Amino acid sequence: MKTALAYQQAGVNPYRPWPARITSILDLTEKEKLFELRIIDDEVRGAFSFDSGQFVELSIFGVGEAPISISSAPSKQGFIELCVREAGDVTSALHAKRCGDIVGIRGPFGRGFPMQEMKGHDVLLVAGGLGIAPLKSLINHIHDERHEFGKVTILYGARNPDEILFRYQFDMWKHRDDFELILTVDVPDDTWTDEVGRVTRLFEMIEIDPKKTYGAICGPPVMYRYVIDEMRRKEMDVDRIYVSFERRMKCGIGKCGHCGVGHQYTCIDGPVFNYWEAMNLQEAI
Amino acid sequence: MFFRIMDRSRMPDLVRGLAAEYEVIGPIAKDGKFVFGKVEDPSDLRLDYDTTLLPPKKLFFPPEEQMMRFRVADNEVVDDEVYAAPRVVFGLHSCDINGLLLMDNVFMRDYEDPYYRARRESTLLVGVSCTSSETCFCNAWGTDEVHWGFDIFLTDLGDRYFVSVQSVKGAELLDRHVESREITSEDTEEFQSVTAAFKDSFSETLDTSQLPLLLDAKFNSPMWDELGDRCLSCGACSMVCPTCYCFDVVDRLAPDQKSGARERRWDSCQFGEFAAVAHGQNFRESRASRVKYRYYHKQWGYLSKFERVLCVGCGRCQRACLAGISPREVVKALETGGVQ
Repeated sequence: MKTALAYQQAGVNPYRPWPARITSILDLTEKEKLFELRIIDDEVRGAFSFDSGQFVELSIFGVGEAPISISSAPSKQGFIELCVREAGDVTSALHAKRCGDIVGIRGPFGRGFPMQEMKGHDVLLVAGGLGIAPLKSLINHIHDERHEFGKVTILYGARNPDEILFRYQFDMWKHRDDFELILTVDVPDDTWTDEVGRVTRLFEMIEIDPKKTYGAICGPPVMYRYVIDEMRRKEMDVDRIYVSFERRMKCGIGKCGHCGVGHQYTCIDGPVFNYWEAMNLQEAI
Repeated sequence: MFFRIMDRSRMPDLVRGLAAEYEVIGPIAKDGKFVFGKVEDPSDLRLDYDTTLLPPKKLFFPPEEQMMRFRVADNEVVDDEVYAAPRVVFGLHSCDINGLLLMDNVFMRDYEDPYYRARRESTLLVGVSCTSSETCFCNAWGTDEVHWGFDIFLTDLGDRYFVSVQSVKGAELLDRHVESREITSEDTEEFQSVTAAFKDSFSETLDTSQLPLLLDAKFNSPMWDELGDRCLSCGACSMVCPTCYCFDVVDRLAPDQKSGARERRWDSCQFGEFAAVAHGQNFRESRASRVKYRYYHKQWGYLSKFERVLCVGCGRCQRACLAGISPREVVKALETGGVQ
């Protein structure tokens, strides 16, 4: 994991973004696109490594910066993928960019999922809406090193079928027997053949071994409490349930103060916390 | 640390000597108040000041500063150099030196902030003893004393100063610019009685021992709603605070739209949009939650990382608050369970 120390050793101004070229843009939904970026400087690109769950600051000079979690797996060398919803100034400016354009990247920042700890265990991933973006990195990582993990269950909910992200990949995986993948939407359309209803409803359909399962949750703020309740009902340990938070991580390096949650900063102490830690963070969930 | 005695009458020599080599900044009178400003003549220096409007943080972390200049076309940084002229800040009280030490933890540890560091490293600090005022409560945190972080510190013994010398540069300055002598046991005794009298001069002491625990235990107390009702969300408390370091970053484009500067400016957790994210969710929408967060972070969040509270008891926020909210009142309310 790239740390503060790495920045110091390099003598780099941590506020200075590295130019990165957009090498591919994929329209995922009406509001979300998947951007593939390649850091231009060979040395910086070579040294860039991250854990699933970490984020970068996407920098567009003249507009500003926005924290975006990395969606690709750490095993994908030389490129990173960012799944970005058009929501504010920076993300709108990014959506207006074309393949070949140059943007800036700072990072990776924060604490990701505890990959080493999770190895050898079952994993239950629960995503709501855009929350699939950071979990996608974890899913791809598990996929790349599938033999290292036990049973893998993915529950993913969105408002409607058009808002299901990465559907092309999930459709391909439906027939695999080494991933249990259940998709659900609140409002189905005529073509929808998967589940209907909240993601919490899917817990009735799955069997997990609470003694050997790690949980990973990301979604809209309202979702966490309900999903955690279901995991607790299945008797999963509080310190094996991991949540990823979205806050206003403006500087990414624990200085600007905007992402404070309880007594911590999301950008350097998170954005991934286990539920025991999250329970002890005021106003976190 | 070693100590010297400097005659009071030598003060102008010292200031003049420093001014020959450095820009000298110190407390000067301005429109009936005091500010840290450029000392043009030794007589400008008002070492009898109580407190300044803004703390010395403005000299290291300015209200607005350019971080880098950029080119839009290839999203490239053109210049991110920091220019920091050598200077001396003369006449800091121990609360303000302690304030800088607390800021150092944020800006000079993990992910060093090059802008803050450049200014910090190019600046010598000369402290001076003070007398407590009504709004001060540095005695609550032990920040009425300072043991490191300055180059020299002058304790006023009336006709002379008891000079604590901490750095090589401080020793050199003293040696080069002013006549001083070794301390005697009488000097040390007088120093002890002056500092003891200062400690006794505070009208009250605050019990802060259970503060972090109480902040969690009383997180849902109605006292926060009462404080929230009074707070105007003006952010003045943050601006005048020697330890508030939050900032916002903005890009300013040149008229040709092809280049520009990325700048940062002081921000406040009391502002309504401070914790809002891009798609509309605001994690601290109510004033009550914002007032509470300011105290929660200062007395517990920062403490959990650096083992000190993020307050030096300078009383500036109390003076600046139009709603009359003071940390003393909040601490007491936590201890007793109600806002006065």
